[in-house]
Amino acid sequence: MTDDTTSAPHEEDNTTDFGFTRVNRGDKAGMVRGVFDSVAGRYDLMNDLMSGGIHRIWKRFTIELSAVRPGQTVLDIAGGTGDLAAKFSRLVGPEGQVILADINAAMLTVGRDRLIDKGATGNVQVVQADAQQLPFDDNSIDCITIAFGLRNVTDKAMAMRSMLRVLRPGGRLLVLEFSKPTSALLGKLYDQYSFQILPAMGRLIAQDAESYRYLAESIRQHPDQETLLDMMETAGFANCRYHNMTGGVVALHQGFKA
Amino acid sequence: MTQHDPALLSAALAGVERALNQAIALSPTSHDELAGLAGTVLGVEVTSFDLTVYLDIISGTEARLMTHCELPTAAFVRGTVEDFASLASSKDPAAVLINSGIELEGNSASLIALQQVISRMDIDWEAPLVATLGDVMGHQIAETLRRIIRWGEGAHASLRRQVSEFVLEEARLTPPKAELEYFFDAVQSLSMQVDRVQNKFEKLRAKVEQKRGQP
Repeated sequence: MTDDTTSAPHEEDNTTDFGFTRVNRGDKAGMVRGVFDSVAGRYDLMNDLMSGGIHRIWKRFTIELSAVRPGQTVLDIAGGTGDLAAKFSRLVGPEGQVILADINAAMLTVGRDRLIDKGATGNVQVVQADAQQLPFDDNSIDCITIAFGLRNVTDKAMAMRSMLRVLRPGGRLLVLEFSKPTSALLGKLYDQYSFQILPAMGRLIAQDAESYRYLAESIRQHPDQETLLDMMETAGFANCRYHNMTGGVVALHQGFKA
Repeated sequence: MTQHDPALLSAALAGVERALNQAIALSPTSHDELAGLAGTVLGVEVTSFDLTVYLDIISGTEARLMTHCELPTAAFVRGTVEDFASLASSKDPAAVLINSGIELEGNSASLIALQQVISRMDIDWEAPLVATLGDVMGHQIAETLRRIIRWGEGAHASLRRQVSEFVLEEARLTPPKAELEYFFDAVQSLSMQVDRVQNKFEKLRAKVEQKRGQP
């Protein structure tokens, strides 16, 4: 689940964050692509191990909140390995459509193969697309989800405007993303886990500690719950709200196109 | 912004949903009945825990549990844990719906139909044992489990009977049911007789006052 452009652009010096380090904006896409190319094959396994399977519960709630119905069109941005898209495929039925979009070809290839293996075909399109410039018609999508992908987008405001453009009036955006724990104690434990255990697991299982260190750092650089809520409202979404999950480790933001 | 952590509730519901769908899969006789309810969404609010859960019957073989649902609900019930426990175990759910503290919005027919499907479910739990352990081993384990369950049911019934006999006959902590019913009948009869005497007395008093008032 990636979108391999990165976060927090600085207009004045043309640099942006890559985890905790600053790099030229032009170099970022390739660096993040490298991260997700590296983890693509074992992304779901690592997600299960890193979260203890809880990411499935977070996604389950996302699907509930999407309220997707048969016949609707769903766009899953940064859909990576396609676990959300597979579930949406069943919910929209043969009359509906699910678009699995990701900027990273390696993740998309894994996702497409998994969808075929699960029998999610016929109503699923796989599209390599940049969240900042979505190649879809205005007012053409009923629901957009972006799960653990927004933090990797360079210009989040631009991506949100693009999502708002393609959503139908009344359509909804759901952003599932790591966020800020609501308790200080949980925050400390989470930091220890992210910067000590997570890279070690990455080294053991994916033979790639650096990629998982980047994932942990990019989570810390991502806007907290209220900041992201403000960003959604600024982009033009209405009735925005969020649900903290697992003590705020993850938050699900929701907004509608008026 | 939500009162409960949605992740906790979703995790619990995911487990229950899996068990429910497994039970449905192992009860083929229920599939046709459930198919008749396909597309029905029922909402349940347990006021004891400030908890709302929706059941979406997708097909004769699959149901979905949700904490959030924007589909129209055929019926929405609200009550305490005790209310729902008595509804689930009742042989007359319609009476429980009327007489208990359960609030119902929408159509009760679908709710009662679902309760009847659940009560008629005949789960063939030997099938997964046979599939996992083979015909001989699976059947033997299932047979042993069935004997244990039968013994447990018999022991439970026997214990209830013996406790009842001890309380009534030996310890005499409560009167027998027949004695109690005779006592209540006598109280009711006495109450009616007192009412009749009171009426006669009122009539007589009215007559006396009427005569006194005459010149």
